[in-house]
This record gives sequence, structure tokens and C-alpha cells, in this order.
Amino acid sequence: MPGHKHEKQEVSDNVKVVVRCRPLNQREKMTGFKQAVTVDEIRGTITVNKFETAQEPPKTFTFDTVFGPESKQLDVYNLTARPIVDSVLEGYNGTIFAYGQTGTGKTFTMEGVRAVPELRGIIPNSFAHIFGHIAKAEGDTRFLVRVSYLEIYNEEVRDLLGKDQMQRLEVKERPDIGVYIKDLTSYAANNADDMDRIMTVGHKNRSVGATNMNEHSSRSHAIFTVTIEYSEKGLDGNQHVRMGKLHLVDLAGSERQGKTGATGQRLKEATKINLSLSTLGNVISALVDGKSTHVPYRNSKLTRLLQDSLGGNSKTMMCANIGPADYNYDETISTLRYANRAKNIKNKARINEDPKDALLRQFQKEIEDLRKKLEEGEEISGSEGSGSEEMDEGDDEAGEPGEGRRRRKGLRFVTKMAIRFDSQIKKKVSPDKMVEMQAKIEEERKALEAKLDMEEEERNKARAELEKREKDLIKAQQEHQLLLEKLSTLEKKVIVGGVDLLAKAEEQEKLLEESNNELEERRRRAEQLRKELEEKEQERLDIEEKYTSLQEEAQGKTKKLKKVWTMLMAAKSEVSKIILETAGIIAVIKTGLETFKATIGKWSLKCLEAELSRIYSINNHEEKKGACLC
Amino acid sequence: MASFSSNEWKAVCAKFTNAQQLSDVESRTDPENDPFRSKYKARELLTEIYCSLKNFEAGDGEEHDDGETSEPEPTEEPLDGEKPVDLDAFSRGWSSDSRAGLRAARLAAVEYYLGVNHVDTEELSAGQEHLMNCMKHLGKCRVSSENVSLFIHVRNQLGILWAGRDETEKSQGFLETAESIYQRYMKENGSPPTDMTEYFCSEENQLTHQERTKKFELAYTHTLYYLAQVYQYFGENERAANYCYSTLQRQLQLNQFNPMEWALNAATLSQYYITKGQYMEGRHCLAAATVISGLAGEVPSEAAAQESEAERDRREQLKQKRSEIARCWIKYCLNLLRDAKKLLEDNIGELDTDRQDELRRARRREEEEEGRKQALLFGSEDTFDSIASVEEKVSYLFPLDFTEARAIFLVGQNYVNQAKEHFQMDGFVTDHIEILQDHSALFRALAFFEEDVERRCKMHKRRVDMLEPICNDLNSQYYLLIRRQLMFELAETYNEMMDLKLTLANRQEDSQSLDNHTIKKFNHLCSASAKYFQMFLDSLCSPEGKIPEHLEEDVLRPALVARFRVARLHSKLISSSPPVQLDNLNKALENYKYVVQYCEAHPEAAAAAETELELSKEMVGLLPLKINRLKARMATNN
Repeated sequence: MPGHKHEKQEVSDNVKVVVRCRPLNQREKMTGFKQAVTVDEIRGTITVNKFETAQEPPKTFTFDTVFGPESKQLDVYNLTARPIVDSVLEGYNGTIFAYGQTGTGKTFTMEGVRAVPELRGIIPNSFAHIFGHIAKAEGDTRFLVRVSYLEIYNEEVRDLLGKDQMQRLEVKERPDIGVYIKDLTSYAANNADDMDRIMTVGHKNRSVGATNMNEHSSRSHAIFTVTIEYSEKGLDGNQHVRMGKLHLVDLAGSERQGKTGATGQRLKEATKINLSLSTLGNVISALVDGKSTHVPYRNSKLTRLLQDSLGGNSKTMMCANIGPADYNYDETISTLRYANRAKNIKNKARINEDPKDALLRQFQKEIEDLRKKLEEGEEISGSEGSGSEEMDEGDDEAGEPGEGRRRRKGLRFVTKMAIRFDSQIKKKVSPDKMVEMQAKIEEERKALEAKLDMEEEERNKARAELEKREKDLIKAQQEHQLLLEKLSTLEKKVIVGGVDLLAKAEEQEKLLEESNNELEERRRRAEQLRKELEEKEQERLDIEEKYTSLQEEAQGKTKKLKKVWTMLMAAKSEVSKIILETAGIIAVIKTGLETFKATIGKWSLKCLEAELSRIYSINNHEEKKGACLC
Repeated sequence: MASFSSNEWKAVCAKFTNAQQLSDVESRTDPENDPFRSKYKARELLTEIYCSLKNFEAGDGEEHDDGETSEPEPTEEPLDGEKPVDLDAFSRGWSSDSRAGLRAARLAAVEYYLGVNHVDTEELSAGQEHLMNCMKHLGKCRVSSENVSLFIHVRNQLGILWAGRDETEKSQGFLETAESIYQRYMKENGSPPTDMTEYFCSEENQLTHQERTKKFELAYTHTLYYLAQVYQYFGENERAANYCYSTLQRQLQLNQFNPMEWALNAATLSQYYITKGQYMEGRHCLAAATVISGLAGEVPSEAAAQESEAERDRREQLKQKRSEIARCWIKYCLNLLRDAKKLLEDNIGELDTDRQDELRRARRREEEEEGRKQALLFGSEDTFDSIASVEEKVSYLFPLDFTEARAIFLVGQNYVNQAKEHFQMDGFVTDHIEILQDHSALFRALAFFEEDVERRCKMHKRRVDMLEPICNDLNSQYYLLIRRQLMFELAETYNEMMDLKLTLANRQEDSQSLDNHTIKKFNHLCSASAKYFQMFLDSLCSPEGKIPEHLEEDVLRPALVARFRVARLHSKLISSSPPVQLDNLNKALENYKYVVQYCEAHPEAAAAAETELELSKEMVGLLPLKINRLKARMATNN
């Protein structure tokens, strides 16, 4: 099945939700509205921007499948409706809804432009699909395809194919055929063109109104139902009949239903649904936990008609339609939110099991007993626990002699026969078998009467039973006759599989197939792309991460560097300042030194001179002294 | 204000009346293909009114404007949304008898009607803009009896507009402000306020005080109703229920209700109280529903229905809605019995006499303290007594013994019969079966109180008798889920009967042996139970008859339990023939194995049936031993 990425998890999804966004229309372009919605088909996301308040972040929603403004009708069909129609052809019930604000393209999605093959919507495409399937079926498969078309306007059901459009129909329920509409016209269709014609007839009768928002606004809910019955030979050689129903639902604009699902006049009668307290009940019922309570039936006809759409053997697809323009921001968000919630819709009918703790406890004890017995190697009879001892009693019965036994046996025989008849009647036996059975009943009756030893009462009972069976048999015979008659009329409408029905529908079916194949290819590509994208994304993230860490480091280093740099600079300038200062000092010292040196030189000279002169004078004196002495 | 008497003003008033007429009356008969014709016409008129108001009042307003300008224009409101409580409006702004105040109120009213008109014609964003303009004009005014009605109306509209978009916080802001404005106005002033329609009509057409009050109170009723929605959205169920109650009570008091609709709502509200265990309140709602639905008149006779379509419709409607109320009563009785059972049962599901005595004492104590006070009180003077007399027919206290339980059961059964009269099988399959399921559940709950085992067994037999034929008649494709429920219930009921038969037999005969008849009966019940469990399991298979690999969450536990029970029933069957015994044991083993293997393959399933899994595991270990022994015995016997 296409579109299932995680087959395992999606199997249980009875409701599948897809979203489709239409392109801006002429009027919106002229008015200069901006595109507020971005669709990412690969990721399955829809992002809505709010332009007037720029600070509000865009909202993003994720769905199974989303379609952008450029999406093709055929793709929409193949990705969404095809699996549903496939399961209808397998004997399930299927429902396809289109939901959304008025003017967002629900009717285009469902019906499309029928004159142009590429622009046909889900409904005509499903016709081609169904008859394509029939054409390809094995020769001994027989099909009966019937269609009906109705609308719910103002909580009244109208037959769009009926002769009298003003006639209101009743929704009813019968044990054998489920919910049905009394007197609803249904046509047997032999090929896709038949169906198309039928639909065109009905479509003309739909309630469409012109409003400022939408020139062709559908004012009602419309349900187109295709019933497919088919019989094929099973492995046991018998004919097996299966039936699937496909409901194609085009809902009225969501804003018009409010929380009541009301349409048309009824809504208007409440003048302003907002101000009508008639919806108080909905609020109250929302407070009530449905498990063990009764909430009075407020459901609309629509919900009643589609009540088995959410159940176990039903597949449902919901296509939420939205407009792209910014002026619909709030409505678009509301539709998307609803679609998000719709994923979790479930039918409320659950099994309410009795909590049976007592039973389990009892059982635990029994197991214990059994274990003990097994361990002890005791003889164990066929039934365990409470039944074990009674078995012998049963053995005795077989040997019980006398009348009692015979009586029982005779009765048992009758009952057995009766049961057999019963089941045979239920199986709708063939006429000769019926005759045979009748004879048997007669025989049985005689046998009964002959058995004089039988107690009167029991005999009467048995006879009554027999008579009842007989009546049933007669009834069954009549039914059989009736069925035969019905069958012959139906036989004319039955289509045998494999017959070439395609004719004109062939093109459409081919188109569908082609586009499906193409889609398959594209999906593979998209999947690949998505994977690549994911990988790239991952890579990017990795790099970004690394990058950020590097960047952080770099920043840190730069900071440090800067700090060191300034420190360095400061130190340098200090150094140069000190150098300058020292140079001055040195110079001063130098000059001081010089002068000092000079002074010292002078002084040493003078000293020398003085010394010399002193020595000299001493010498002189000594000499003089010596000279004197000498 | 010279212009008021002028022809121009008269023209404005005429236009307004015309617009109202178009919007409220004529729009109902607009053709299907032009559904908003009258609304669009009304919109044009309103736009014209707005222009004239702007023009000729602005002109003469500014000329001799002295007092007003001295008061500064109040600051503007935020664009959308509202501060939680903004009650400055009582002290700030133009007073309404000033010219500027009156002008602002009129402009606001026209914006209000334009807003509602746009919302009605599906142009929500435009509608919102007009309503916010209305708020802006009002923001300049002080709350007074001339404009308070508009203050509340516009907030109601904005509240419901945002609620419709699921922006519940925004909605809450508007509605809670409306609520406080109402409360403060009633406390400080309380005189019947002017309705907005009166802004545009001549003196002689002013509304009476009564009419004014009626309109104003109705607007506030709506505020409460919308707030109920808001609180429900936030999950504040108790608060929401209180607001629903207030809404209903106000409708009744102010005599603004449709009897059938009101009764149905009250009946639904009872279901809320029932689930909360507040049976006194639940009963009160139901009694009120019964009494008020009586106000809708007699159901037209069949003969009358034959003659006119309108009568036929009315007949259907009345019958259906009264039956709906009966169904709510059934649930009341059923839940009361069930809850009592829960209180009274011991750990193996039998009546615990100690608990019984304890509860009796507690009840006596409560009676001495004159009981609980009723939290709700519906009714007007003329209905109060009849509501009380309906209440007296059934107790709100938990039944503590069979006699009390039976009294409640009988009331429930009576409503079952009433409801079935309308919801017949032919035409209302689903509803009819739901009622039968309730009937069966009533028997089941009553059986708990019955001490006589034989009678208890008969009650279960009644259940089988009412459900079995239906289960077999229903089309399995269209009633898959209902049939599953029925199969499960039938299987459990047969099981229950089987257990009771055994108890009975063991009790009657001192000897350990059972007679033939009992064995037959026992085996019959046992296989019937197994048959229905098996039928349930078969219903899970695909159209081709394949057992699903993966069980969906809503059938996971039932399916595992059914397997388990089938296994157990097979090993319980009594037989004298060893080959049959062997066959039964093998079937049992097969089913135990399924439970174990399924949980191995789907580990997440184990939590759904923990005990059953554990027991199945043990049996998977033990049964082969037993089977081997049996085989060995068979071999030696041969």
C-alpha cells in the first residue's frame, strides 16, 4: 500500500488525515492578499504565517500527507483515496471526507472539473478505479455496483437522484442492513460512464448558494455512496459474497456548522447560532464521561448516517482543505487544529468487560491443585478442578438401563435433528434438500407419535418444536422463492468480472494507473530526496555544532588574545616609558659622571700637583735638611 | 441636539428598523441559492447609517463642544484580546448623557450590528474588525445604564467568535470581563438598562422596564453559557457544570426556554452528576427534566399524526425526547446499583455483610444529622412541588439490601419499557440494543443482591434470553462493534450461570458427585460460553478469515481475555471419553499458548492482561504433563 512509511504503526489508524492547500484565486490576487501558507510536501508540514503581527512566530503542523497549491488531482487521488477504494474492493467500508472553510476547494477536491480528465476529482476517479478493477478481475467473479446520492440540508435528507426533490426522507436502521434511508433511490451502474451520468443528474440538484466568500458555496452535506457486491468461488468451491460500501462525503463549509453540524435553514432559524442556547446540550454532553451514561442523541443526521465509518471494519480518510491567503489566518489555523484532532477520532463502542478478579483467584487455586496432583502423580481425569469427580457419574449414564435412558436418547435425537434443520435452514438450502427435509420431518413426527412410552408432555413439546421447524421451513422456502425472483432481476444488473467495461473510462483508468506509477517513482525519488535532505540536515547540524563549538573557542581565544594584546601593549608602552625615563636619567648621570670625571681629573691633577709639589718640597726640604746635616 | 428631531435623524431610525427587520425576519426566507440576500441588504443600510452618524453628528458635535473635550480621550484598547479584568470602564471615560458619550455609544452600536452581520455571513475576520471598532468606541465611555447592555453584548460576540476558532484564552478574557461588568453594574446601579435598539427609535417606541430587563438578563445568560464552554474547554469540568446549571436555572427563572430542549439539557447534566457520584443532584436534574418536559404538552395521537405532517413531526419529537429522558433515568438506576455493589462486595465479588452493617450504621448517623444539603435547586414556584414529588419515587441513597436494590431496579425497568416503546428494533437498532444492554446490566446488578442462587441464575437467564436472539440476527458487517459487545456479554453471562449451577449442585448434594442432568446442563453452559468467546475472536479476523497479527488497542485486552477464557472453559468441560478429554485439553493448551506467544511477540501487550498472562504461562507448563498422563492412561487401557 502506498504512502505507508511505517506500516506497522499505521495499520491501526482508522482515520487518516491529509491537508490540501489551494492556490490564491483571481480575486485574492487582485485584492493583493499575501500567501500566508507554505506547504512542504516532502516533510509533510504546513506552516502558516501571520503578517500583521510580525512578532508572532509562524505555526507549523505535521500530517501524514500534505498537498501544496500545485498539487495535481490525480496525485491526490492516488495518495489518499486509492488505498481506501482498494479496501472497499476487499469488502471493507470506506469513507472519504472533504472538510474545511467555505471556498477552500472541497468540491474541487471531491468532484473537480469533470470535463477535463486531469482535473477530475476523487469521485470520478474512484469510478474509473472501481471499474478498472472489475475489468481486470477473474472471469468467474461477479459484481453488482449500485450508487445513491443524497444531501443533508437543514437536517433534512433529500434524494438527489429522486423524482421528487421536495420529499424528505427518513434515516432508519434495520438489524439486517444497518443504517439506511427509507425510499432512497439507488441505481445499478454498469460502467464508469453510467456512474458519471448519475452523478451529473444528482449534482444539478444540490443546494448551492452564492455568497461574498464563494460564488458556488455548497450549502449542504452531500454523500455519494457506492455499494459494491461481488461473489467469487472460494477454495471450498462455494460462491462467497462480499460487500463493501464507499461513502464520498462533501461537507458544507466548516464555519457554517459550528459545533452542531447544522446546515442551511436550520442554522438560519437560530438566526445567530452563536446566540442560540440550543447548543447548550453540546457543552453539557462534553462534560459527561460516556462510559456508563447516556447522552441524549444530539447527533446530526450526518453522524448517524456515517456511524459505522469509524468502526472496526471501516477505513476513513479526511481531506482538510485550506486557503492560502492571509486574511483567513484564524480559520486556517482552526481547520488545521481540527484536522490534527481528527487523527485521534475513534468509535466509542468498546468492550466493557466485567472485571473478574474472583474468577482469576479461583483459577489460581485450581492451578495450584493441578500442580500438586501432577507432582503427586495422582490419576487425573479429563476435566480438572471442580469437574474432575463428576466424570465417573457420566460413565454410569451410558450403562443406565430402562425407559429413562431410551427417553433421553429419543429426545436427544429429536433435538439434534432440530438443530441440524435449524442450521440447514439458516444456510438457505437448495429446494430438493428442502423437500428431503420435509419428508424427514414428517417421518420424525410419525416416529414420535409411535413412541407411546414417551411422556405426554415431552412429546407435545417435541411436536411443537417440530411444527415450528416445519413452519420455519415453509418460510424459508418462500424466502427462497422470493430470493430467486430477486436474483433473476438482479442478475441482469450483475457484471461479470473481466468483461471489457473500460470503453470510455479506459482512458481515465489508464491515466490513473500511469499517474500512480509515476507517483510511485516520484515517491521513491521524494523518499530518497527526503532521506538525503535528512542526511544533509544532519550533516549540517553536525557541522553547525562543530562550527559553533569552534566559533565559541575562537571567540574565547580572540577575547583572551585581545586581553593579552592590551596587556602587552600596556606593558610595552610602560617599557618604552621606562626606557625613555631611564635614558634621561642615564644622560643626566652621564653628564654628572662626565663633570664628575672632569672634576675628579681636575682634582686628581691638582692633588697630584699638590702631592708632587709637596713631595718636591719635602724632598727639597730633606735635601735641604740633609744638605744641612751633611 | 437639534439634529435629533430633524428629518435626517428620522431617516436614520427608519433605516435601522428596516435593517433589523431584514436581518432578523426576512433573512429566514432567503432563497437557497442566495442565502444572505437580506443580510447583505441589511449590511448596506447599516453602513449608510454609520456614514450619516459620522457626518452630521461629528459636525455639530465639534462646534459646540466645551465640556467634553476637557476630559481626555481614554487610551485605546489593545488590538485583539482583552485584559482579564478591565473595570476602569466604570470610573473613566465619557459619561453617556454627554453628547460625545451618546455619539460614541451609537457608533459603537452600529459597529456591533455590522460585526454580527459579517459573522453571520461567514466573513469572520471582517466581523471581528467591526466588533473591535465597537470596543474602541465603547472604550471612551463610562459604563452606565444607557450602554452597559452593549458592553456585554459585544464581549459575548467576541467571546464566541474566538471560541469558534479555538482561541479559548482570548475568548475567556472577553467573557469574564462581561461577567464582572454585569455583576458590578447590578451591584452599583441595577436599573433596567437601555437596549441598543433603543438608540435608534423614537421616544414613544422605547422599551418597557420589563422588556429591558428581559433582554439584558438574556444577554448575561449567554455570557454564562459561553463561559461554561470556555471552562469545559480548559477541562475545569466542575466549574463548567456549575455554569451550565446557572444557565439552566436562569432560563427557567426568566421563563426563557423551550421545555423539551431544557428538559433534555437537564437530563444530560444529570449524567455528569451521576458520574461524580452525586446522586442527589443527579436525581434532582432528572426530576426537573421529567416535570419540565411535561410542559411541552401531550403527545399527539396517532390519528392526528396521520392527518398532518406537522403533528406527525411533533409526535415523533416528543416521543423521542421523552424516551431520551427515560434513558437517562435508566442510567441513574443502573449506576446507583452498580456503585452500591462496588461498595458492598468483598474480594471475590460476593456481598460483604460487615461492609453492609457498617454502611447501615453510617446511613443512620447521617439521617440523625439531617442529611446532606442539596446543592442544586431548579424550579419556579409552580414547578417546585411537582419536581419534589417525582424525586420521591426513587431513592438517591445506595441500596444496601435486596429489597432496596429491587425498588431501584423496578424503577429502572419501568423506564426501560418506556424507552423501548419509542426506540423499537425496527428503525432504531442501535438505540434499542443499548437499552437492552442496560436492562441486562440492571439484572446483573440486582443479581448481586439476590441471596437465593437459583433465582440469581434465573436473572442471568433473562439476560441471555434478551441478548442472544439479537446477537444472532444482527448483520455482522454493519453492527460489528455492537455484536462484539453482545458476544462478550453473552459469553460472560453463560460463564456466570455455569458457576452458579455448580455452586448450586455442590450445595444441594452432600456427596461429591453430580447427577447426569446437572452435568449436561453444566457442559451446555460451558460450551455456550466458549462458543461466544470464540465468536468474538472470530469477529476480529479479516474478511478472508485471517487472525490479525496485531491486535488494535481497543480490542487487545478483550481478545487476550477471551482466549484465556476459552482455554479455561475447554479444560472445564466434563467428559467420560478420554479422546474427547484429550481433544479439550489440547484446545485449552492451544489457546493458552496463543496468549503467551502473542505477548512474547508484542511485549507491550503484556501489561494489558498481566494476571491472565501469568496464569497462561503456568498452564502452558503444566498442561502438557497432564496431556501426557492422559495419553499414557489411554494407551494402557487399550
